[in-house]
Amino acid sequence: MYKALLVSLLCLCVVMLFTCKDKTKPPAPGELTHISYRPKPYPYNLPEGFPRFEVPKDNPGTVEGVSLGEKLFFDPLLSADNTMSCSSCHFPHLAMTDKKARSTGIDGKEGIRSAMSLINVAYYREGLFWDGRVKTLEEQALLPVEDSVELHNSWDEVLNRLKKHSEYPALFRKAFGISSIEEMDKYLAVKAIAQYERSLISGNTKFDRFRRGEAVLSEEEMRGYELFFDASPDLPDAECGHCHNAPLMTTNEYLNNGISEAFTTEDFTDKGYGLITGNPLDNGKFRVPSLRNIILTAPYMHDGRFKTLEEVIEHYNSGGKHGPNVSPLIRPLNLNEVQKRQLIAFLETLTDPNFTQQN
Amino acid sequence: MRKILIILISLPIFIASSCDKDPEMEVVGDVEIIFRANYDGELFLTQKDYEYIPDMSIKFSTFDLYVSNISLLKEESSTDESELVEIDFVDLSFDINQQSRAEEGDTVFTKKVPAGSYKGFKIGFGVPADLNRTSPNDYGSGDVLATSSHYWAPLDSYIFSKIEGFVDKDNDGIYETSEGEGFTFHLGRDEVYTERIIFPSDPIVVEDGQKLEIYIDIDVKKLFNMPIDQFDTNDDNLLDIEVYDGAHGNQEEELIIAKQLMRNYSEATLLEQ
Repeated sequence: MYKALLVSLLCLCVVMLFTCKDKTKPPAPGELTHISYRPKPYPYNLPEGFPRFEVPKDNPGTVEGVSLGEKLFFDPLLSADNTMSCSSCHFPHLAMTDKKARSTGIDGKEGIRSAMSLINVAYYREGLFWDGRVKTLEEQALLPVEDSVELHNSWDEVLNRLKKHSEYPALFRKAFGISSIEEMDKYLAVKAIAQYERSLISGNTKFDRFRRGEAVLSEEEMRGYELFFDASPDLPDAECGHCHNAPLMTTNEYLNNGISEAFTTEDFTDKGYGLITGNPLDNGKFRVPSLRNIILTAPYMHDGRFKTLEEVIEHYNSGGKHGPNVSPLIRPLNLNEVQKRQLIAFLETLTDPNFTQQN
Repeated sequence: MRKILIILISLPIFIASSCDKDPEMEVVGDVEIIFRANYDGELFLTQKDYEYIPDMSIKFSTFDLYVSNISLLKEESSTDESELVEIDFVDLSFDINQQSRAEEGDTVFTKKVPAGSYKGFKIGFGVPADLNRTSPNDYGSGDVLATSSHYWAPLDSYIFSKIEGFVDKDNDGIYETSEGEGFTFHLGRDEVYTERIIFPSDPIVVEDGQKLEIYIDIDVKKLFNMPIDQFDTNDDNLLDIEVYDGAHGNQEEELIIAKQLMRNYSEATLLEQ
């Protein structure tokens, strides 16, 4: 009996020793399985009164994925000369824009449009970019890396750098559970970036707090609110709320807001949405942007033609320029100077302090 | 041993009771409802010129609506209804480059209904009060009621129907935004919800396993019918659109116009099988 027990114990020790030895054995080159993979669901924490948004089934948000995405988003390694990252045109303290009429890439070349804010981009169901050319954030994030007027790199080169990096392989493992460095690819990289971008949720403006009953608007801001949403029968309708509805301050539609004069649908210098749909009647239409943090995102419109909010309001007050497909919501508003100031006062309540800090 | 015996006795009873359900299974058919729009009998297309009144043309850019509580009625007076649709969104804003799509119309898919003969077709235009108490924030993206462009927060109401476009007020052949020639009717609020029951001359027959197509044709011009003199000074039974070029339901006048335009859906609608 004692003899059998002794033999069993000895065997157990041998097995344990073997196991221990295995654990201390260095991983094979490129192998990542020794790094733990325990992803935690990312808590999106939607503000009260906000709708739910769809997260792709094949890319659920995780703490590790968002963290990797954030690192990639700010990393100049993505550009050919290591000088620019996504954040070079989407500064967090400028509500994820760059204060330029047209963004500039690594070669100093200017793009044709301004950088769009990425705030609440998780809600963009109707396509991304000013012209809606891609449907998902994952598809979107593939493009700037290889765009010759943006980061002007190739994904092969980016992956080459990521695989050799001292931190990224482990971060990819933690986010996606890959077994080896060889499994790192551009699709995982853009999945991580998309996860980070979905986490950029703004719901803490003074106007949000007013809607939740946590803040009071000043007299001037309140009149501006009523003008904006046509909420008072005693004030004119500034027609803003139709396209910039709360809480997202956009309806995600594509419209021609009458900023460019055109007599035929072929007269638009930048055809915008029409280039994507192929329907000439969509020429000159662009995505309605969110007005969240609008004070920080000058200059305005897809080409940054208006430097100030005063210019923007003057445009809408005038009734816009002639075009074959201008929205009928663009009409002379007849707002007086006081009402224009009240509108701007209300627009100032749309600033979210979470997107005004330098990272 | 005793347990095995109980199981053996129970099994046939269970099988028999499952088999019993077959004869009771409902005999059902599919119904597809296809919405189409016309303007005074002509195919309705946005960005196309139509005559509103002599010497004043009209061009639309948007025409859409919520439809709700659609059901088939067994008898004219009965409440024996088979619900087809609780709520759906119909967009008939097809433009001049989308003629074939406009001819096909916008299809609303429905629940299966018991096969049989039905005398009435009930339809609601707009969002009924119980659903109008909700807002887009209550729905996940993709739901027809999640569309923020069709919700008006200050009035806590969905916009039941949007009719937008331009009228050539000065008859110069140009629709001028800067001259205020646009019109925007955003019709909403509980007060303007409209229901209609249509009794077609031939009964609606749903056959077992078959698909029945029901066409609902809306004459957009008839939506502007105006029996109230105050808003029809031209005495042509049409809204003076050159004067009353919008209705959001905020001002008292706008609410009266919105009610009338929504009520007009009843007479503007024809059912075809």
